[in-house]
Amino acid sequence: MKSKYIKLIDIVLIFGTIIFLASFVSYARPLVISPINNLETTNQSVLFNFERGNIILIDDNLEFSSPQKIYAENNLIINLKPGKYYWKIEGMIGSEIRDLTILSEINLRLKQVGDLYEITNAGNVDLNVGIYENENLVDNLILNVDESQEISGEKFIGEPEGGNF
Amino acid sequence: MDKKIYFILLLLLILLPNVLSIGITPARTTVNFESNLEKTISVSIVNSEHKNMDLVIYSQGELAENILLKENKLTMTKNEESKNFEYQISLPDNLSPGLHTAEIIVLQIPETSDEGDAYIGAALAVTTQLYIFVPYPGKYAEAELNIVDAEEGQDVQFVIPIINRGKLDLVNVKANIDIYGQLNEKITSFNTQSIAIESGKRTELVSNWKADVPVGIYRAVVTLIYDESSLRLEKQFNVGSKILELQNIEVNDFNLGEIAKFEMLVENKWSEQVNGAYTRTKVFNDEGEVMADFKSPTYDLPSLEKSVMISYWDTAGVKQNTYDASVYLIYGEKSSQQDFKFEVSENEIRVVGLGYVISEKGSGFSQGRLLTFLVIGVILLILINIGWFFALRKRLKK
Repeated sequence: MKSKYIKLIDIVLIFGTIIFLASFVSYARPLVISPINNLETTNQSVLFNFERGNIILIDDNLEFSSPQKIYAENNLIINLKPGKYYWKIEGMIGSEIRDLTILSEINLRLKQVGDLYEITNAGNVDLNVGIYENENLVDNLILNVDESQEISGEKFIGEPEGGNF
Repeated sequence: MDKKIYFILLLLLILLPNVLSIGITPARTTVNFESNLEKTISVSIVNSEHKNMDLVIYSQGELAENILLKENKLTMTKNEESKNFEYQISLPDNLSPGLHTAEIIVLQIPETSDEGDAYIGAALAVTTQLYIFVPYPGKYAEAELNIVDAEEGQDVQFVIPIINRGKLDLVNVKANIDIYGQLNEKITSFNTQSIAIESGKRTELVSNWKADVPVGIYRAVVTLIYDESSLRLEKQFNVGSKILELQNIEVNDFNLGEIAKFEMLVENKWSEQVNGAYTRTKVFNDEGEVMADFKSPTYDLPSLEKSVMISYWDTAGVKQNTYDASVYLIYGEKSSQQDFKFEVSENEIRVVGLGYVISEKGSGFSQGRLLTFLVIGVILLILINIGWFFALRKRLKK
Protein backbone atom coordinates (compact mmCIF):
# COMPACT_ATOMS: atom_id res chain seq x y z
CA MET A 1 0.00 0.00 0.00
CA LYS A 2 2.85 2.34 1.00
CA SER A 3 4.79 1.63 -2.20
CA LYS A 4 1.61 2.29 -4.24
CA TYR A 5 1.41 5.80 -2.77
CA ILE A 6 5.11 6.32 -3.39
CA LYS A 7 4.71 5.33 -7.04
CA LEU A 8 1.70 7.65 -7.36
CA ILE A 9 3.72 10.56 -5.97
CA ASP A 10 6.59 9.62 -8.36
CA ILE A 11 4.25 9.74 -11.35
CA VAL A 12 2.59 13.02 -10.25
CA LEU A 13 5.98 14.64 -9.69
CA ILE A 14 7.54 13.44 -12.96
CA PHE A 15 4.56 14.34 -15.15
CA GLY A 16 3.88 17.57 -13.27
CA THR A 17 7.50 18.62 -13.74
CA ILE A 18 7.45 17.75 -17.44
CA ILE A 19 4.20 19.66 -18.05
CA PHE A 20 5.42 22.67 -16.05
CA LEU A 21 8.79 22.75 -17.84
CA ALA A 22 7.14 22.40 -21.25
CA SER A 23 4.79 25.32 -20.55
CA PHE A 24 7.68 27.32 -19.09
CA VAL A 25 9.78 26.81 -22.23
CA SER A 26 6.91 27.66 -24.57
CA TYR A 27 6.11 30.80 -22.59
CA ALA A 28 9.68 31.98 -22.02
CA ARG A 29 10.72 31.45 -25.66
CA PRO A 30 10.63 34.83 -27.44
CA LEU A 31 7.64 35.29 -29.74
CA VAL A 32 8.94 36.27 -33.17
CA ILE A 33 6.42 38.17 -35.30
CA SER A 34 8.28 39.78 -38.18
CA PRO A 35 10.04 39.63 -40.56
CA ILE A 36 8.61 36.34 -41.75
CA ASN A 37 10.96 33.43 -42.32
CA ASN A 38 12.66 33.32 -45.76
CA LEU A 39 11.71 36.94 -46.51
CA GLU A 40 13.23 38.27 -49.74
CA THR A 41 13.12 42.02 -50.25
CA THR A 42 15.04 44.86 -51.84
CA ASN A 43 14.05 47.19 -48.99
CA GLN A 44 17.08 47.59 -46.74
CA SER A 45 15.06 48.86 -43.76
CA VAL A 46 13.69 45.81 -42.02
CA LEU A 47 11.25 45.98 -39.11
CA PHE A 48 11.97 43.42 -36.38
CA ASN A 49 8.90 42.79 -34.28
CA PHE A 50 8.99 40.39 -31.34
CA GLU A 51 8.04 39.90 -27.72
CA ARG A 52 9.68 38.38 -24.61
CA GLY A 53 13.22 39.07 -25.77
CA ASN A 54 15.69 41.92 -25.65
CA ILE A 55 18.58 41.09 -27.98
CA ILE A 56 18.50 40.64 -31.74
CA LEU A 57 21.35 38.56 -33.11
CA ILE A 58 22.00 38.86 -36.85
CA ASP A 59 24.70 37.06 -38.78
CA ASP A 60 25.45 35.88 -42.29
CA ASN A 61 25.96 32.29 -41.16
CA LEU A 62 23.88 29.78 -39.24
CA GLU A 63 26.60 29.29 -36.63
CA PHE A 64 26.31 32.96 -35.59
CA SER A 65 30.11 33.13 -35.50
CA SER A 66 30.31 36.94 -35.70
CA PRO A 67 26.83 38.21 -34.90
CA GLN A 68 25.69 41.79 -34.84
CA LYS A 69 24.15 42.15 -31.38
CA ILE A 70 21.42 44.75 -31.03
CA TYR A 71 19.63 45.52 -27.79
CA ALA A 72 15.96 46.32 -28.28
CA GLU A 73 12.59 45.90 -26.59
CA ASN A 74 10.18 44.87 -29.29
CA ASN A 75 10.00 46.99 -32.43
CA LEU A 76 13.13 48.05 -34.22
CA ILE A 77 13.98 49.02 -37.77
CA ILE A 78 17.44 47.90 -38.83
CA ASN A 79 19.19 48.89 -42.05
CA LEU A 80 20.95 45.94 -43.66
CA LYS A 81 23.20 45.68 -46.68
CA PRO A 82 22.24 43.29 -49.48
CA GLY A 83 22.93 39.68 -48.53
CA LYS A 84 21.51 36.68 -46.76
CA TYR A 85 21.09 36.92 -43.01
CA TYR A 86 20.17 34.59 -40.19
CA TRP A 87 18.63 36.09 -37.10
CA LYS A 88 17.18 35.14 -33.75
CA ILE A 89 15.98 36.78 -30.58
CA GLU A 90 17.55 36.17 -27.21
CA GLY A 91 15.55 36.48 -24.04
CA MET A 92 15.47 34.09 -21.14
CA ILE A 93 16.00 31.42 -23.80
CA GLY A 94 16.67 31.73 -27.53
CA SER A 95 14.01 31.95 -30.22
CA GLU A 96 13.81 29.96 -33.44
CA ILE A 97 16.32 30.98 -36.14
CA ARG A 98 14.87 32.73 -39.18
CA ASP A 99 16.53 33.90 -42.37
CA LEU A 100 15.99 36.89 -44.59
CA THR A 101 17.55 38.05 -47.83
CA ILE A 102 18.09 41.64 -48.87
CA LEU A 103 18.26 41.39 -52.64
CA SER A 104 20.78 43.57 -54.38
CA GLU A 105 19.12 46.04 -56.72
CA ILE A 106 20.65 48.15 -59.42
CA ASN A 107 18.61 51.22 -60.11
CA LEU A 108 19.69 54.16 -62.23
CA ARG A 109 17.79 57.40 -62.54
CA LEU A 110 18.52 59.92 -65.28
CA LYS A 111 17.23 63.46 -65.24
CA GLN A 112 17.86 66.17 -67.81
CA VAL A 113 19.43 69.31 -66.35
CA GLY A 114 20.03 71.81 -69.12
CA ASP A 115 22.50 70.30 -71.59
CA LEU A 116 23.64 67.73 -69.06
CA TYR A 117 22.11 64.76 -67.30
CA GLU A 118 21.94 64.18 -63.57
CA ILE A 119 22.50 60.50 -62.96
CA THR A 120 21.57 58.99 -59.58
CA ASN A 121 22.30 55.62 -58.04
CA ALA A 122 18.84 54.84 -56.65
CA GLY A 123 19.59 51.18 -55.90
CA ASN A 124 21.24 49.54 -52.91
CA VAL A 125 24.70 48.66 -54.27
CA ASP A 126 27.59 50.84 -55.40
CA LEU A 127 27.72 51.16 -59.17
CA ASN A 128 30.24 51.46 -61.94
CA VAL A 129 28.53 53.49 -64.67
CA GLY A 130 29.91 53.26 -68.21
CA ILE A 131 29.40 56.42 -70.27
CA TYR A 132 29.07 55.93 -74.03
CA GLU A 133 29.17 58.27 -77.00
CA ASN A 134 28.71 57.01 -80.56
CA GLU A 135 28.57 53.50 -79.09
CA ASN A 136 32.10 53.93 -77.68
CA LEU A 137 32.91 53.77 -74.01
CA VAL A 138 34.37 57.19 -73.20
CA ASP A 139 34.42 57.19 -69.41
CA ASN A 140 33.55 55.32 -66.23
CA LEU A 141 32.01 56.71 -63.10
CA ILE A 142 31.76 55.17 -59.64
CA LEU A 143 28.45 56.07 -58.00
CA ASN A 144 27.87 55.17 -54.37
CA VAL A 145 24.36 54.44 -53.14
CA ASP A 146 22.18 57.59 -53.32
CA GLU A 147 24.98 59.56 -55.00
CA SER A 148 24.23 61.84 -57.98
CA GLN A 149 26.50 63.43 -60.58
CA GLU A 150 26.00 65.64 -63.59
CA ILE A 151 27.38 64.13 -66.78
CA SER A 152 27.04 64.21 -70.55
CA GLY A 153 26.77 61.25 -72.89
CA GLU A 154 24.41 59.25 -75.08
CA LYS A 155 24.18 55.97 -73.22
CA PHE A 156 24.77 55.04 -69.58
CA ILE A 157 25.17 51.45 -68.37
CA GLY A 158 25.27 50.69 -64.65
CA GLU A 159 26.77 47.53 -63.22
CA PRO A 160 27.70 46.44 -59.67
CA GLU A 161 31.05 47.68 -58.44
CA GLY A 162 33.46 45.04 -57.09
CA GLY A 163 33.14 42.54 -54.25
CA ASN A 164 33.27 38.75 -54.41
CA PHE A 165 32.20 38.05 -50.83
CA MET B 1 -6.25 84.08 -74.86
CA ASP B 2 -5.60 80.81 -76.73
CA LYS B 3 -2.03 81.87 -77.39
CA LYS B 4 -1.58 82.49 -73.68
CA ILE B 5 -2.82 78.99 -72.82
CA TYR B 6 -0.55 77.41 -75.45
CA PHE B 7 2.38 79.43 -74.11
CA ILE B 8 1.70 78.28 -70.53
CA LEU B 9 1.34 74.65 -71.69
CA LEU B 10 4.60 74.88 -73.63
CA LEU B 11 6.33 76.42 -70.63
CA LEU B 12 4.99 73.63 -68.41
CA LEU B 13 6.25 71.01 -70.83
CA ILE B 14 9.68 72.62 -70.87
CA LEU B 15 9.77 72.81 -67.10
CA LEU B 16 8.50 69.24 -66.60
CA PRO B 17 11.25 67.17 -65.06
CA ASN B 18 12.33 64.62 -67.66
CA VAL B 19 13.31 61.50 -65.85
CA LEU B 20 14.27 58.03 -67.00
CA SER B 21 14.69 55.28 -64.47
CA ILE B 22 15.22 51.54 -64.55
CA GLY B 23 16.15 48.92 -61.99
CA ILE B 24 17.12 45.27 -61.94
CA THR B 25 17.38 42.72 -59.15
CA PRO B 26 19.45 40.77 -58.20
CA ALA B 27 22.55 42.70 -59.21
CA ARG B 28 24.59 39.51 -59.37
CA THR B 29 23.99 35.77 -59.46
CA THR B 30 26.82 33.51 -58.34
CA VAL B 31 27.00 29.87 -59.40
CA ASN B 32 29.60 27.23 -58.57
CA PHE B 33 30.79 25.50 -61.73
CA GLU B 34 29.54 22.03 -62.62
CA SER B 35 30.30 20.32 -65.92
CA ASN B 36 27.47 20.74 -68.47
CA LEU B 37 25.32 22.50 -65.91
CA GLU B 38 22.04 23.81 -67.27
CA LYS B 39 20.22 26.29 -65.08
CA THR B 40 17.47 28.84 -65.48
CA ILE B 41 17.94 32.12 -63.66
CA SER B 42 15.15 34.59 -63.00
CA VAL B 43 15.70 38.34 -62.89
CA SER B 44 13.27 41.13 -62.13
CA ILE B 45 13.18 44.48 -63.94
CA VAL B 46 11.89 47.39 -61.85
CA ASN B 47 9.86 50.22 -63.37
CA SER B 48 10.45 52.70 -60.58
CA GLU B 49 9.20 55.77 -62.51
CA HIS B 50 6.00 53.99 -63.59
CA LYS B 51 6.44 54.80 -67.26
CA ASN B 52 5.79 52.90 -70.47
CA MET B 53 9.13 51.38 -71.40
CA ASP B 54 10.53 49.53 -74.40
CA LEU B 55 13.45 47.37 -73.37
CA VAL B 56 16.13 45.47 -75.22
CA ILE B 57 17.95 42.63 -73.46
CA TYR B 58 21.33 41.28 -74.51
CA SER B 59 24.28 39.47 -73.01
CA GLN B 60 27.99 40.20 -73.20
CA GLY B 61 31.23 39.11 -71.62
CA GLU B 62 33.26 35.94 -71.57
CA LEU B 63 30.34 33.55 -71.05
CA ALA B 64 27.86 35.39 -73.31
CA GLU B 65 27.74 32.43 -75.69
CA ASN B 66 26.66 30.16 -72.85
CA ILE B 67 23.61 32.28 -72.14
CA LEU B 68 20.28 31.82 -73.82
CA LEU B 69 17.91 34.72 -73.32
CA LYS B 70 14.30 33.67 -73.42
CA GLU B 71 13.30 37.15 -74.64
CA ASN B 72 15.30 39.84 -76.40
CA LYS B 73 12.69 42.55 -76.18
CA LEU B 74 10.26 43.49 -73.48
CA THR B 75 7.61 46.13 -73.04
CA MET B 76 6.50 47.44 -69.69
CA THR B 77 3.46 49.59 -69.14
CA LYS B 78 3.27 52.36 -66.57
CA ASN B 79 1.04 50.12 -64.43
CA GLU B 80 3.68 47.42 -64.12
CA GLU B 81 5.84 47.84 -61.05
CA SER B 82 8.19 45.03 -62.07
CA LYS B 83 8.51 42.27 -64.63
CA ASN B 84 10.42 38.99 -64.49
CA PHE B 85 12.48 37.54 -67.28
CA GLU B 86 14.55 34.39 -67.41
CA TYR B 87 17.78 33.34 -69.00
CA GLN B 88 19.30 29.93 -69.26
CA ILE B 89 22.93 29.06 -68.76
CA SER B 90 24.51 26.02 -70.41
CA LEU B 91 28.02 25.51 -69.12
CA PRO B 92 30.66 23.58 -71.05
CA ASP B 93 32.51 20.44 -69.98
CA ASN B 94 35.49 22.37 -68.73
CA LEU B 95 36.49 25.87 -67.77
CA SER B 96 39.81 27.08 -66.43
CA PRO B 97 39.94 27.53 -62.63
CA GLY B 98 38.86 30.87 -61.23
CA LEU B 99 36.16 33.41 -61.94
CA HIS B 100 34.27 33.58 -65.24
CA THR B 101 31.66 36.22 -65.88
CA ALA B 102 28.92 37.42 -68.15
CA GLU B 103 26.63 40.43 -68.08
CA ILE B 104 23.00 40.58 -69.02
CA ILE B 105 22.14 44.13 -69.99
CA VAL B 106 18.66 45.60 -70.03
CA LEU B 107 18.59 48.73 -72.15
CA GLN B 108 15.78 51.22 -71.98
CA ILE B 109 15.28 52.56 -75.49
CA PRO B 110 15.36 56.39 -75.55
CA GLU B 111 11.99 58.08 -75.46
CA THR B 112 10.61 59.59 -78.64
CA SER B 113 8.58 62.75 -78.95
CA ASP B 114 5.58 61.10 -80.68
CA GLU B 115 3.16 62.40 -78.09
CA GLY B 116 4.61 65.87 -78.23
CA ASP B 117 5.95 65.50 -74.68
CA ALA B 118 9.35 66.49 -73.47
CA TYR B 119 11.72 63.55 -73.71
CA ILE B 120 15.20 62.34 -72.86
CA GLY B 121 17.32 61.40 -75.84
CA ALA B 122 19.87 59.30 -73.94
CA ALA B 123 19.67 55.56 -73.39
CA LEU B 124 19.83 54.07 -69.91
CA ALA B 125 20.81 50.51 -69.12
CA VAL B 126 21.35 48.31 -66.08
CA THR B 127 23.36 45.13 -65.79
CA THR B 128 22.87 41.96 -63.84
CA GLN B 129 26.09 39.97 -63.56
CA LEU B 130 26.60 36.23 -63.72
CA TYR B 131 29.59 34.93 -61.77
CA ILE B 132 30.74 31.35 -62.31
CA PHE B 133 33.42 30.08 -59.95
CA VAL B 134 35.46 27.14 -61.13
CA PRO B 135 37.35 25.38 -58.33
CA TYR B 136 41.15 25.35 -58.44
CA PRO B 137 42.87 21.97 -58.47
CA GLY B 138 44.23 21.14 -55.04
CA LYS B 139 43.87 23.53 -52.14
CA TYR B 140 42.99 27.17 -52.69
CA ALA B 141 41.43 29.71 -50.36
CA GLU B 142 40.16 33.26 -50.84
CA ALA B 143 39.70 35.46 -47.83
CA GLU B 144 38.78 38.94 -46.75
CA LEU B 145 39.53 40.87 -43.59
CA ASN B 146 36.78 42.76 -41.79
CA ILE B 147 37.53 44.62 -38.58
CA VAL B 148 34.92 45.95 -36.19
CA ASP B 149 36.42 49.00 -34.48
CA ALA B 150 36.02 49.44 -30.74
CA GLU B 151 36.38 52.00 -28.01
CA GLU B 152 39.51 52.07 -25.87
CA GLY B 153 39.54 49.09 -23.48
CA GLN B 154 36.89 47.18 -25.43
CA ASP B 155 37.18 44.26 -27.84
CA VAL B 156 38.17 44.85 -31.46
CA GLN B 157 36.67 42.05 -33.53
CA PHE B 158 38.53 40.50 -36.46
CA VAL B 159 36.30 38.60 -38.86
CA ILE B 160 37.95 36.67 -41.69
CA PRO B 161 35.47 35.14 -44.12
CA ILE B 162 37.17 32.37 -46.09
CA ILE B 163 35.91 30.59 -49.18
CA ASN B 164 37.47 27.30 -50.12
CA ARG B 165 37.82 27.71 -53.91
CA GLY B 166 39.85 24.52 -54.27
CA LYS B 167 38.70 21.04 -55.18
CA LEU B 168 40.05 19.60 -51.95
CA ASP B 169 38.80 20.15 -48.43
CA LEU B 170 40.94 22.35 -46.20
CA VAL B 171 41.76 20.52 -42.99
CA ASN B 172 43.60 23.07 -40.92
CA VAL B 173 42.82 26.76 -41.45
CA LYS B 174 43.96 29.35 -38.92
CA ALA B 175 45.21 32.91 -38.88
CA ASN B 176 47.99 34.78 -37.17
CA ILE B 177 47.14 38.40 -36.45
CA ASP B 178 49.84 41.03 -35.88
CA ILE B 179 48.84 44.48 -34.64
CA TYR B 180 51.03 47.49 -35.46
CA GLY B 181 50.88 51.03 -34.09
CA GLN B 182 51.19 54.33 -35.92
CA LEU B 183 55.01 54.22 -35.75
CA ASN B 184 54.93 50.73 -37.27
CA GLU B 185 55.90 49.16 -33.95
CA LYS B 186 54.49 45.69 -33.30
CA ILE B 187 52.07 45.86 -30.40
CA THR B 188 50.92 42.28 -30.15
CA SER B 189 50.52 39.05 -32.06
CA PHE B 190 47.99 36.25 -31.57
CA ASN B 191 46.48 33.24 -33.31
CA THR B 192 42.89 32.35 -34.05
CA GLN B 193 41.41 28.91 -33.52
CA SER B 194 41.86 26.31 -36.26
CA ILE B 195 38.96 25.16 -38.43
CA ALA B 196 38.29 22.89 -41.42
CA ILE B 197 36.47 24.05 -44.58
CA GLU B 198 34.88 21.78 -47.15
CA SER B 199 35.42 22.44 -50.86
CA GLY B 200 33.19 25.27 -52.14
CA LYS B 201 32.08 26.29 -48.62
CA ARG B 202 32.42 29.62 -46.85
CA THR B 203 33.32 29.88 -43.17
CA GLU B 204 34.54 32.62 -40.86
CA LEU B 205 37.43 32.85 -38.46
CA VAL B 206 36.61 35.23 -35.66
CA SER B 207 38.93 36.59 -33.00
CA ASN B 208 38.67 39.36 -30.44
CA TRP B 209 41.46 41.54 -29.12
CA LYS B 210 41.07 43.76 -26.06
CA ALA B 211 42.24 47.20 -27.13
CA ASP B 212 44.15 48.26 -24.01
CA VAL B 213 45.92 50.88 -26.10
CA PRO B 214 45.50 54.64 -26.59
CA VAL B 215 42.90 55.98 -29.03
CA GLY B 216 44.31 56.05 -32.55
CA ILE B 217 44.83 54.31 -35.85
CA TYR B 218 46.29 50.79 -35.90
CA ARG B 219 47.13 48.25 -38.60
CA ALA B 220 46.38 44.54 -38.60
CA VAL B 221 48.45 42.14 -40.68
CA VAL B 222 46.82 38.75 -40.99
CA THR B 223 48.59 35.67 -42.25
CA LEU B 224 46.01 33.06 -43.12
CA ILE B 225 47.55 29.63 -43.00
CA TYR B 226 45.63 26.85 -44.71
CA ASP B 227 47.30 23.43 -44.76
CA GLU B 228 50.58 24.05 -46.64
CA SER B 229 49.76 27.47 -48.10
CA SER B 230 49.28 30.97 -46.76
CA LEU B 231 47.62 34.25 -47.64
CA ARG B 232 48.38 37.77 -46.40
CA LEU B 233 45.70 40.32 -45.59
CA GLU B 234 46.15 43.81 -44.22
CA LYS B 235 43.81 46.53 -43.00
CA GLN B 236 43.78 49.65 -40.86
CA PHE B 237 41.40 50.04 -37.96
CA ASN B 238 40.60 52.56 -35.26
CA VAL B 239 40.54 52.29 -31.52
CA GLY B 240 38.04 54.87 -30.36
CA SER B 241 36.48 54.73 -33.79
CA LYS B 242 33.25 56.45 -32.86
CA ILE B 243 34.92 59.70 -33.78
CA LEU B 244 31.77 61.81 -33.97
CA GLU B 245 28.75 61.13 -31.83
CA LEU B 246 25.35 62.70 -32.38
CA GLN B 247 24.10 63.53 -28.90
CA ASN B 248 21.03 65.68 -29.35
CA ILE B 249 18.74 67.20 -31.96
CA GLU B 250 16.69 70.31 -31.25
CA VAL B 251 14.24 72.25 -33.40
CA ASN B 252 13.27 75.56 -31.82
CA ASP B 253 10.74 78.25 -32.86
CA PHE B 254 9.10 76.03 -35.44
CA ASN B 255 5.93 76.71 -37.41
CA LEU B 256 4.64 74.13 -39.88
CA GLY B 257 5.07 75.32 -43.46
CA GLU B 258 8.13 77.38 -42.63
CA ILE B 259 11.80 76.52 -42.55
CA ALA B 260 12.78 74.35 -39.59
CA LYS B 261 16.21 74.91 -38.07
CA PHE B 262 17.77 71.63 -36.89
CA GLU B 263 20.49 72.07 -34.27
CA MET B 264 22.45 68.86 -33.93
CA LEU B 265 24.86 68.55 -31.02
CA VAL B 266 27.87 66.50 -32.07
CA GLU B 267 30.84 65.46 -29.97
CA ASN B 268 34.23 64.85 -31.55
CA LYS B 269 35.65 61.98 -29.48
CA TRP B 270 38.78 61.75 -31.59
CA SER B 271 42.17 62.97 -30.42
CA GLU B 272 42.49 65.17 -33.52
CA GLN B 273 40.38 67.88 -35.14
CA VAL B 274 37.92 66.52 -37.72
CA ASN B 275 37.67 68.74 -40.78
CA GLY B 276 34.88 69.04 -43.32
CA ALA B 277 32.23 67.17 -41.34
CA TYR B 278 28.57 67.65 -42.21
CA THR B 279 25.16 66.15 -41.49
CA ARG B 280 22.69 64.83 -44.03
CA THR B 281 19.09 64.19 -43.05
CA LYS B 282 16.60 62.14 -45.02
CA VAL B 283 12.91 62.20 -44.14
CA PHE B 284 10.67 59.43 -45.45
CA ASN B 285 6.94 59.44 -46.18
CA ASP B 286 4.55 56.60 -45.29
CA GLU B 287 5.53 54.72 -48.46
CA GLY B 288 9.18 54.82 -47.43
CA GLU B 289 10.09 57.30 -50.19
CA VAL B 290 12.51 60.15 -49.50
CA MET B 291 10.38 63.28 -49.13
CA ALA B 292 13.18 65.57 -47.92
CA ASP B 293 16.94 65.40 -48.09
CA PHE B 294 18.88 68.27 -46.51
CA LYS B 295 22.49 68.85 -45.52
CA SER B 296 24.32 71.13 -43.13
CA PRO B 297 27.32 73.20 -44.18
CA THR B 298 30.72 71.65 -43.49
CA TYR B 299 32.27 72.15 -40.04
CA ASP B 300 35.77 71.75 -38.61
CA LEU B 301 35.22 70.12 -35.22
CA PRO B 302 37.93 70.63 -32.58
CA SER B 303 39.27 67.59 -30.78
CA LEU B 304 37.29 66.30 -27.76
CA GLU B 305 34.77 69.16 -27.97
CA LYS B 306 31.05 69.43 -28.63
CA SER B 307 29.76 71.52 -31.53
CA VAL B 308 26.33 72.38 -32.94
CA MET B 309 25.82 71.56 -36.61
CA ILE B 310 22.90 73.38 -38.20
CA SER B 311 20.75 72.32 -41.12
CA TYR B 312 17.43 73.56 -42.49
CA TRP B 313 14.28 71.76 -43.66
CA ASP B 314 11.72 73.63 -45.73
CA THR B 315 8.42 72.20 -44.42
CA ALA B 316 6.20 73.88 -47.04
CA GLY B 317 3.59 71.27 -48.01
CA VAL B 318 4.52 68.95 -45.13
CA LYS B 319 1.56 67.63 -43.14
CA GLN B 320 1.29 66.95 -39.41
CA ASN B 321 2.41 63.36 -39.06
CA THR B 322 5.14 61.13 -37.70
CA TYR B 323 7.89 60.57 -40.25
CA ASP B 324 10.80 58.13 -40.31
CA ALA B 325 14.11 59.92 -40.68
CA SER B 326 17.78 59.00 -40.99
CA VAL B 327 20.56 61.35 -39.94
CA TYR B 328 24.01 60.75 -41.37
CA LEU B 329 27.18 62.21 -39.88
CA ILE B 330 29.65 62.37 -42.72
CA TYR B 331 33.35 63.02 -42.21
CA GLY B 332 36.14 62.08 -44.58
CA GLU B 333 35.31 58.70 -46.03
CA LYS B 334 33.27 57.75 -42.98
CA SER B 335 29.58 57.99 -42.43
CA SER B 336 27.49 56.98 -39.44
CA GLN B 337 23.74 56.68 -39.54
CA GLN B 338 21.09 56.99 -36.85
CA ASP B 339 17.38 56.49 -37.38
CA PHE B 340 14.70 58.58 -35.75
CA LYS B 341 11.06 59.49 -35.92
CA PHE B 342 10.14 63.14 -36.46
CA GLU B 343 6.79 63.94 -34.87
CA VAL B 344 5.72 67.01 -36.82
CA SER B 345 2.90 69.06 -35.34
CA GLU B 346 1.69 72.64 -35.95
CA ASN B 347 4.49 74.27 -33.98
CA GLU B 348 6.80 71.53 -32.84
CA ILE B 349 9.07 68.86 -34.26
CA ARG B 350 9.76 66.22 -31.68
CA VAL B 351 12.70 63.93 -32.40
CA VAL B 352 12.03 60.44 -31.08
CA GLY B 353 14.54 57.66 -30.86
CA LEU B 354 18.04 58.80 -30.01
CA GLY B 355 19.16 55.23 -29.51
CA TYR B 356 16.55 54.24 -32.12
CA VAL B 357 14.49 51.81 -30.04
CA ILE B 358 10.76 52.27 -30.36
CA SER B 359 8.93 50.69 -27.50
CA GLU B 360 5.36 49.73 -28.29
CA LYS B 361 3.64 49.12 -25.02
CA GLY B 362 4.26 49.12 -21.32
CA SER B 363 3.37 45.51 -20.62
CA GLY B 364 6.97 44.52 -19.95
CA PHE B 365 6.55 44.66 -16.19
CA SER B 366 3.68 42.14 -15.96
CA GLN B 367 5.38 39.84 -18.44
CA GLY B 368 8.62 40.15 -16.54
CA ARG B 369 6.83 39.42 -13.27
CA LEU B 370 5.16 36.34 -14.73
CA LEU B 371 8.53 35.11 -15.97
CA THR B 372 9.98 35.64 -12.49
CA PHE B 373 7.16 33.54 -11.01
CA LEU B 374 7.81 30.85 -13.60
CA VAL B 375 11.53 30.80 -12.81
CA ILE B 376 10.73 30.56 -9.08
CA GLY B 377 8.34 27.71 -9.98
CA VAL B 378 11.09 25.86 -11.84
CA ILE B 379 13.50 26.26 -8.93
CA LEU B 380 10.82 25.06 -6.47
CA LEU B 381 10.07 22.05 -8.66
CA ILE B 382 13.76 21.15 -8.80
CA LEU B 383 13.99 21.41 -4.99
CA ILE B 384 10.82 19.33 -4.53
CA ASN B 385 12.15 16.67 -6.94
CA ILE B 386 15.52 16.52 -5.18
CA GLY B 387 13.83 16.44 -1.77
CA TRP B 388 11.47 13.68 -2.83
CA PHE B 389 13.77 11.39 -4.79
CA PHE B 390 16.87 11.74 -2.63
CA ALA B 391 15.46 12.08 0.89
CA LEU B 392 11.74 11.65 1.57
CA ARG B 393 11.16 8.71 -0.79
CA LYS B 394 13.99 6.64 0.76
CA ARG B 395 12.80 7.45 4.28
CA LEU B 396 9.17 6.46 3.50
CA LYS B 397 10.30 3.19 1.88
CA LYS B 398 12.03 2.15 5.10
